[in-house]
Amino acid sequence: MDDDKKLTSKEFLNQLVAKHYEGALQAKAEGKPVVWATSICPQELLETMDLATVYPENHAAAIGARKGALDFIENAEGRGYSSDNCSYARVNLGYADIQKAEAQDIPMPDLLFCCSNICNTVIKWYENLAKTLQIPLIMFDMPFNHTYEVPAHSVKYMKGQIEYAIGQLEAFTKKRFDYDKFGEVMELSNATCEWWKKATDWAKVIPSPLNGFDMFNYMAMIVCMRGNADGHRLFKMWHDELEAKAKAGLGPWSSAEEKYRVMWDGIACWPHLSTTFKALKKYGINMVTSTYPDSWNVRYEKNDLAGMAKAYSSNYANRNLDYDEDNVVRLVKDFKLDGIVYHSNRSCKLMDFRQYEIQRRVEAATGIPSVVFDGDQTDPRAFSEAQYETRIQALVEMMEENKEARRKG
Amino acid sequence: MSKAISIVQELEAAALSPYQAVMRTLKETGKEAIGCFPIYTPEELIYAAGMIPVGMWGGDTELKLADRYLQTFCCSIMRSNIEYSMMGAYDMLKAVIIPTFCDTLKCICENWKVSAPHIPVIPMAYPQNRRIEAGFVYMTEELERVRGELETISGKPITEAMLEEAFAVYEAYRSAMREFVKVAVEHPETINAKSRHLIIKAGYFSDKKAYTDKIRMLTEALKEESVKPFHGIKVVATGLIAEPPALLDIFVKNNVAIAADDLAQESRQFRTLSRSDGSVIERLSWRVVDQQGCTFLYEVEKTRGQMLIEQVKETGSKGVVIFMMKFCDPEEFDYPVYKEELEQAGIPVLYLETEQQMDSFAQIQTRVQSFAEMLA
Amino acid sequence: MYLGIDIGSTSTKAALIDGNGSLAAQKVVNIGTGTNGLDLVLAELFQAADVTMEDVEYTVATGYGRLLCAVADKQITEISCHAKGVSYLVRGTGTIIDIGGQDSKVIRLDPQGRVMNFAMNEKCAAGTGRFLEVMGRVLGCSLDELSELAGASTREVQISSVCTVFAESEVISQLSMGTRREDVAKGALVSIAKRVAGLCKRVGVEPRVVMTGGVALNKNMVAAMSRELNEDVQAAPYTQAVGAIGAALFALEAAGKKENSNA
Repeated sequence: MDDDKKLTSKEFLNQLVAKHYEGALQAKAEGKPVVWATSICPQELLETMDLATVYPENHAAAIGARKGALDFIENAEGRGYSSDNCSYARVNLGYADIQKAEAQDIPMPDLLFCCSNICNTVIKWYENLAKTLQIPLIMFDMPFNHTYEVPAHSVKYMKGQIEYAIGQLEAFTKKRFDYDKFGEVMELSNATCEWWKKATDWAKVIPSPLNGFDMFNYMAMIVCMRGNADGHRLFKMWHDELEAKAKAGLGPWSSAEEKYRVMWDGIACWPHLSTTFKALKKYGINMVTSTYPDSWNVRYEKNDLAGMAKAYSSNYANRNLDYDEDNVVRLVKDFKLDGIVYHSNRSCKLMDFRQYEIQRRVEAATGIPSVVFDGDQTDPRAFSEAQYETRIQALVEMMEENKEARRKG
Repeated sequence: MSKAISIVQELEAAALSPYQAVMRTLKETGKEAIGCFPIYTPEELIYAAGMIPVGMWGGDTELKLADRYLQTFCCSIMRSNIEYSMMGAYDMLKAVIIPTFCDTLKCICENWKVSAPHIPVIPMAYPQNRRIEAGFVYMTEELERVRGELETISGKPITEAMLEEAFAVYEAYRSAMREFVKVAVEHPETINAKSRHLIIKAGYFSDKKAYTDKIRMLTEALKEESVKPFHGIKVVATGLIAEPPALLDIFVKNNVAIAADDLAQESRQFRTLSRSDGSVIERLSWRVVDQQGCTFLYEVEKTRGQMLIEQVKETGSKGVVIFMMKFCDPEEFDYPVYKEELEQAGIPVLYLETEQQMDSFAQIQTRVQSFAEMLA
Repeated sequence: MYLGIDIGSTSTKAALIDGNGSLAAQKVVNIGTGTNGLDLVLAELFQAADVTMEDVEYTVATGYGRLLCAVADKQITEISCHAKGVSYLVRGTGTIIDIGGQDSKVIRLDPQGRVMNFAMNEKCAAGTGRFLEVMGRVLGCSLDELSELAGASTREVQISSVCTVFAESEVISQLSMGTRREDVAKGALVSIAKRVAGLCKRVGVEPRVVMTGGVALNKNMVAAMSRELNEDVQAAPYTQAVGAIGAALFALEAAGKKENSNA
């Protein structure tokens, strides 16, 4: 226990990242099957079956952040993938061909596990992997919720798919599915998600103890470690640190003060992470939240398959405009935001093509300013530093005007 | 003028002036219209409700208003549809059905609620896991839901008898279309690449019953014509849509005929045979289950490449032309996979990137002509 | 004599092949379609070969302006003409790269010199001569000077933006940060080479790799292309006139066929 006191959550995070990838590579080396899965999939099933799993979206982001994406992107484009397709997909499909990355290697998969709650693009991406690698694919189709709530017949459909997938997993592993263990994993996953949510909620305090760009780092672990004890420990640890910082009145950075609080809409620009971060910090802008804390707050009652199905269909990207509007308006109020930065991300059409309308509605409902900038999650070629700088500066000017008006009453 | 040519001209005219064609259909039938977005919609339900399904596959309109909702890297069919909705071009529609086959369609469905609030939208999700029981049941439930929404709009119940009748009309339509494309292969001089497309497209703006009669008459007239030797090149077309029409003028000019297609707007609508058992709702669901090689319906085997190879062989075509609608993710994702299969089979491919708003055809002209030179 | 004319977007080229299939003359003027470039280049060409239009038995036009060329008996695309011209000039060519003002193309040839497959850039200007023009404008120099500048580079600057508009602002900010013009020029060449290499991958690269068109005059560009492809790349002789030479060879063939059918 003494070790725990010395170990910071950030150090533990780094250890876990290494352990995660080494564990998967080790499993492969021992002849055990490896799974590639999408970021908000019902990982409870995989955890129950004790299958080593890596997440291509995490991997692509890591490659992007270490400025290695272009080699894989060029490989995929050389084979006919359009530069308009999702860059996570291009990086991963490139990796599946090259199978070597300076940034981080992952083992090649024996099984694919795909859930369309984040987009339909993953259906095409994983279909192509299955065809090229000639391996089985377990698909969860979570229909887009064009009503405010998730409709009952959709829940039934998704529950049926989870049951079907359990059969597929039994056939694949030639092992019986252990429902007792499943219950435990469900319980643990819910608890981890709760700590994730509680940790990120500390950013509601002014100044926020959380620097939102750190959240991007921890996000990789809520993707791949929600269902195990390590993940649970990590997010509790992170939560406690943020709580202590908040109670001590400490802000996000030691070197600067938080002057403005914004939400970042969309995925990070991984290849330009430090550029995008520094341009904000320069003006004292802290990104205190995004739509992500809620997207991985996957909560349901233990052993309730229908509840689980519904929870997995309830993420922001799979919801209608009215829901999204209410969600962002709530974030503006709860996190006392001064502005919003919208990332018009060339990779993510599902988020982009609702962004303009969300922006107008949120502005009308809250009166806070916002800007849209052009970028991409992993393709370094679709971002202009000059454009980003100018837009951020414009946002600062608008936020300052608002503050000035408030000061004058 | 031969009988065939006069029918061709009539259908071409309808396809080139969709608005006038729809207004005429509504006037002649006294029915009301429901808009149908790509890729698939249950047109039979609309027809059974006593209304006319109208295809909404965009068009060549200047994009100004749609920028309010959509970035420029959005598929041009969808940008056009939003533009038209804001211009009031769709005001004759009682409602639109928007299925969420891709990420863009999901957003379009949401934006429509604001861009054209006066035209109600019936959103619809087709199950991707349609080959497992839960998916099949979901499909039937979605169809029942849409049936209910259509009943509300028309103010009348849709009975089983009405469904049976509508299904029969559509079965006749699909069988007539399959026959037409088969016979048309033998008459590339009369049914050139552009005519073929426009004839098929005209069906989206007509009462299917009347349209089917015309297609049958045309097919019969073609059968009576003598088969003339064709000195051009036959190809198989794939993609979402073979538009704008000016693109096909280039094919005609270079003597390139389309012998068979796998286009979403064309053969994918009618190539799959229906099952005969079960209720109409179940038969409609089976049609979705049985559809193969379509990028909008999950298929882990990805049979499209093999299907194209077979089409090339069956029709004696010399290559495959890909009409790639720029920014269409599903179509773009399929391409590298079937391209490799075609290459391995030694089948030349011509890749044409298209948008509905194209100002210059010079490069396409070069590509098509080069392709023809290469295959000659 | 058999005449080939290549009317491009920024230059007009012409070539004459005699009855034995030998190249009699070739000329280039640096103005393109919609100008009097054709009259100028033909005047120069005829003077060099000491012939007149009367001596020409058959004419083939190629290039963007081919369809508007009134003197031509036949129009053939630049894809086929480049293939023809290069196979005539450089035996054993497997791949042709042509970076034009509007279009870039990669052509794969079979051992007989016939077109097996080809790929062209999409609508976007990245990877075409147009991109170099924009870069030249930002750096305040001509295309020739751009190449010279790049030759003097000591440190390669990465220009990663795909979009020409973005790339322009990227370069401007590089320059404002004090990056040397030479290094930016080199970065521009490498950026194009990367885009074109992507196009090459679509059809596969088979040696020999030969570059044609005006951009191939730029030695540093050829070198950059070679590095990106990890293959030897050579510039074709008469690099700008390759399309016109191919067209003239087609004219010779077409005239031969005509005679045969007349006989």
